[in-house]
Amino acid sequence: MFNKVLIANRGEIAVRILRACRTLGVGAVVAYSEADRESLAPQLADEAICIGPADARHSYLSAPAVISAAIVTGCDAIHPGYGFLSEDASFADVVRAHDLEFIGPSAEVLERFASKEATRRLLAAHGLQTIPGSTMLRDEAHALEEAERIGYPLLIKPSGGGGGKGMRLVRNARELESTFKVSRSEAKAAFGDDSLYLEKFLEENRHIEIQVAVDRFGNAVHMFERDCSVQRRHQKIIEETPSPALSEDARRDLAERALKAVAAAGYENLGTLEFLVDSKGEAYFIEINCRVQVEHAITEMVTGIDMVALQIRIAAGDPLGFTQADIASSGHAIEFRILAEDPAKDFRPQSGQVGAYLTPGGPGVRMDSHLYPGYEIPSYYDSLLGKLCVWAPNRAEAIARGDAALRELLVDGVTTNIELHRAILANQVFIDGKVTTSLLDRVGSAPFVAAGNR
Amino acid sequence: MAARTQIGNQRSESEDALQVQRDHDAIAGLADDLLPALIAKLAASGLGEIEVRQGGWKARLRMPAPSDESRRSAAKAAKAADSHGHPAPGRGSAVHARPEDRLAVDVEDVSDEPARVAAKSPAVGIYNPRKDLAVGMRVRSGDRIGQVNVLGVNQDVISPVDGIIGSSLAEAGEAVEYGQELVRIELPEPEPPTSEASVHGAPVGAAGQS
Repeated sequence: MFNKVLIANRGEIAVRILRACRTLGVGAVVAYSEADRESLAPQLADEAICIGPADARHSYLSAPAVISAAIVTGCDAIHPGYGFLSEDASFADVVRAHDLEFIGPSAEVLERFASKEATRRLLAAHGLQTIPGSTMLRDEAHALEEAERIGYPLLIKPSGGGGGKGMRLVRNARELESTFKVSRSEAKAAFGDDSLYLEKFLEENRHIEIQVAVDRFGNAVHMFERDCSVQRRHQKIIEETPSPALSEDARRDLAERALKAVAAAGYENLGTLEFLVDSKGEAYFIEINCRVQVEHAITEMVTGIDMVALQIRIAAGDPLGFTQADIASSGHAIEFRILAEDPAKDFRPQSGQVGAYLTPGGPGVRMDSHLYPGYEIPSYYDSLLGKLCVWAPNRAEAIARGDAALRELLVDGVTTNIELHRAILANQVFIDGKVTTSLLDRVGSAPFVAAGNR
Repeated sequence: MAARTQIGNQRSESEDALQVQRDHDAIAGLADDLLPALIAKLAASGLGEIEVRQGGWKARLRMPAPSDESRRSAAKAAKAADSHGHPAPGRGSAVHARPEDRLAVDVEDVSDEPARVAAKSPAVGIYNPRKDLAVGMRVRSGDRIGQVNVLGVNQDVISPVDGIIGSSLAEAGEAVEYGQELVRIELPEPEPPTSEASVHGAPVGAAGQS
């Protein structure tokens, strides 16, 4: 096991990793930017080090700053969290070149799964069905030609993107023509890579993902699925497990097929395979996330496995220590992403100082957050304030616990989406487990909020 | 924002109040738009001070003075707000300076110079002062007074002001973090209010990368 881990991230996940290190008896140093000096992780940590200014490019995204911080504080491993450098193969490579361990897949594995398009081909070769799509687009003419072959509607997707960023929906050739150039320059600006590809757009689909873990000895397990169909502009806002859309047999079958394919393709450490599931129940593989997910907590609640600790143990070279037969999914868990955004004002991100702050309690309630009363929310980073997760023996009770917990949760001083969550929980489509990824965008949040207030 | 609008509604009766409103809008504009950008820029640049003029307003940002200085400038900022007979505008809380702040921010306050400032680390790494660095040595703004080694690449530690080398706050070979104070720089005497001394004359030492 490691002696000391550098936590190269911020917000709630930095706190989460710190907790995992402490339970493993591993030392931890929190690396923070100047804007995060007052954040919870550096306050809680026994050791913290400022690695750069607020601008993430010179702090959380700076490989030299992060690695130098690890070296001068005597760390032997770096945990990148999610986002930032977490899936950067060249970073993982440089980390290793400095005799440090990267907590995640090895550089080779990250490299193999770096391109979404190549990953789709790789996993298709190992038996997973993928959404009909194009090769990398050479130019507009090539895009139009490929679009004709696949059929509209289509998504234009940047190869270097993630989390739905930079995707555009086009319904016909005219829209494709007018969007192609913009998408290309946006991709270049956002990801430093302007490669685009097309993908068939499934009108009514659910987003279901399979959690896997593979150790260095080839022991591989899945931890079932998470349903992340409640989305706004391709950003997940509520996740739950099990998926209300899959039968017990279907979820086992999908998880087993996903695990078999990814293990055969040589994956290592924690990973998540994302699928779109259409109205007929067909699951199409879309991408793999080579890191811990924001929504890992609900899997922890139904399986009882500390996934961040597991991730650290795998990176340290430990065998899994359990098999698929040891893993059961028990009860139902839901996560609500508490975001500093104003649903009434087009979800504009909010900043400000947290006034009163009260987290809910009771059976099956968990709050992962970096907030505390008086905390000044910096405007430089994403709007995630925390994750409220609830667990109950079944879905109906989990919804009831979720609503009770959301009513208790108090975040004064900044506008949040707490009420939107309550409105969604009260909505019949959600109660029936029939939410598809486009629902919130199609009907907007106003009807949900209005219905919730009644 | 709400507080600002309120002030406007209450005062829109007289010309005088209109001017006050304009002033407050300008301060709020500085606080909301300009200052965050300036603070980021200042922090990234390694410069000691930035001054910007906009309309009839001037904002000057300075890298931290020792804590008693921050406290004094905070008091001054509060006084400046009081002298208008109003509380600071709604979002004006961005213009504050607590003792532990790394950046002291003065708005409309150009007469005050700290007695001492410090050269800070530009990065996280291993600090090494210039070989000939000694207490009492004169330095100019921009002079290299040491280096921080980041994975084998040296980054310069720069004096933010013209002054005299004071006590060392970090040892040679010590691990330092970004923004850490490394060497005190004593100021020989209070500079004239809008001195641009740092621009005049060539720096004494080489400030280039090495």
